Amino acid sequence: MRFPVPVPEIKTGASKHAVCHPAKEKDMAKIDLPRERREDWKEAMLKKMGEMLDKYRSLRLYLDICVKCGACADKCQFFLGTKDPKNMPVARADLFRKVYKKYFTVGGKIWGRANEAEDLTEEVLQDWYTYFYQCSECRRCSVFCPYGIDTAEITMAAREIMAAAGIATKYVTEVVAKVYDTGNNLGIWAPAWKDNCSFLEDDLRDTEGIDIKFPVDATGAEILLVPPSADNFANTNTMIGYGKMFHAAGISWTTSTYCNEGGNFGMFLNYANLKKVNNRILEAARQLKVKKVYWGE
Amino acid sequence: MAAKILYIYLPYLAAVVFAVGVIFRIYTWAKTPVPLRIVTTPAPKTRGGVALRLIGDALWFPSLFKGDKPLWVGGVLFHSLLWLVLLRHLRFFLYPVPGWVESLQTAGLYAGYLIPIPLALLLLRRLVLERNLYISILGDYFALLLLLGITLSGIFLKAFFPAYLVDVKDMLLGLLHLSPRVAVLPWLFGLHFFLVLLLLLYFPFSKLMHAGGIFFSPTRNQRANFEKRFVNPWDVKVAYNSNNLFPPEKYRQELASPGEGRKE
Repeated sequence: MRFPVPVPEIKTGASKHAVCHPAKEKDMAKIDLPRERREDWKEAMLKKMGEMLDKYRSLRLYLDICVKCGACADKCQFFLGTKDPKNMPVARADLFRKVYKKYFTVGGKIWGRANEAEDLTEEVLQDWYTYFYQCSECRRCSVFCPYGIDTAEITMAAREIMAAAGIATKYVTEVVAKVYDTGNNLGIWAPAWKDNCSFLEDDLRDTEGIDIKFPVDATGAEILLVPPSADNFANTNTMIGYGKMFHAAGISWTTSTYCNEGGNFGMFLNYANLKKVNNRILEAARQLKVKKVYWGE
Repeated sequence: MAAKILYIYLPYLAAVVFAVGVIFRIYTWAKTPVPLRIVTTPAPKTRGGVALRLIGDALWFPSLFKGDKPLWVGGVLFHSLLWLVLLRHLRFFLYPVPGWVESLQTAGLYAGYLIPIPLALLLLRRLVLERNLYISILGDYFALLLLLGITLSGIFLKAFFPAYLVDVKDMLLGLLHLSPRVAVLPWLFGLHFFLVLLLLLYFPFSKLMHAGGIFFSPTRNQRANFEKRFVNPWDVKVAYNSNNLFPPEKYRQELASPGEGRKE
């Protein structure tokens, strides 16, 4: 039977192999997480899950009220790209929901597996680690859900719960640790940042014949610019653009070697690091006594 | 004894479980804080706008309309017919029957005859679409089959084997006025009544709570007043990160004299 709308086929387990590299101990230590998966990971995860259910209405509500209509299914680029049914937002949330039902709901305790309640086992954890890192938290599913169920909220909670038990990915933890080390995601140390800025100054003097400054750690400027760090590394045309614009407008500005990155990978890890990474902007602004912050990315 | 259970004990049990269950679920959502502003845009800026958005979401499902037209047709048909049927049934519970309930009788009657159609469509959709079959659990089929059972028994009751209205109303008003009497009613009515009680008992423990839940959804009930600061009620203070000196101590010297350390 042909359905009146295009329906993507499903291929069970199609992206099961796409598993992120595990975090390194040195990075985990820097971002206040257990260095490796805890012995009591299951208890640690369930404890954290209980805490999060009491802190986020979104999480509890969205786990409770999904009717599994499937309207979100073909709205997820990860499902459309991989055809793996566990990448349908509803199925991704179900990975969380079945554990939630087992340990935190009356319905799950009464009907058990018939109501999809499931124990938090090694296999379930493997699915969590695989599929909760195949979500980009774009929230497109929430636009099409009749109740606005935001799978990103569930993804974020799942990652935070795993992180509390010492389970995280190398990419995310490494970047957050780098931010604390160097002030930015790319790991550009202060002298390199400074050097890059003076290189751009020289370059512009040669090409434009104008003295355009790229101030670093200047106290008392009007504006603190917090760019994506790649702007002063790979996409320097953008950095040159900032400099020219501020020069033409006659506004005093500065970048900070404590905080030269607007991107926040804490978002993909947990609340504490999310806040800590963002808080650097405030700290840098106060330290440099600027009046305004221009914040990209 | 069976009649006593069905028409006296079970209705009160169902009413208590339903009321306590629903209130408890809603209380749980209401007391859980909302730490962040996560409203999905485009979002209204005022409370009045939010109320309109929620009413719209609850009545004609604009998100489904955007994303899945066949599902939207099934969903809107089912829910609007259900409204009519429920309002029509008020005549069994109210005495005297208000004029507006009287005026809804014909519409409610046809709605009752039609309501199995969207239910069957929704059930078929779960079974025919591979991806919906994948996500459906027993509870999804149970809810649909229960509703089908209720509507079909209701239709048969109305069209072919009517129960004596005065007996039905006598039984229901007796329950409402806390002076229940053991009723003698046809078995088909008993089945219809039993399935409804089952639905009430099941409701608070199930996904059917979406009925109240939608109004608590932060992505839908928040305002887009981004100019106002949103305060997280359980916010934690983060410590200044001492790993990251300002500017890093080992480079302080270098930074004090610009240009130094560069390779020309």
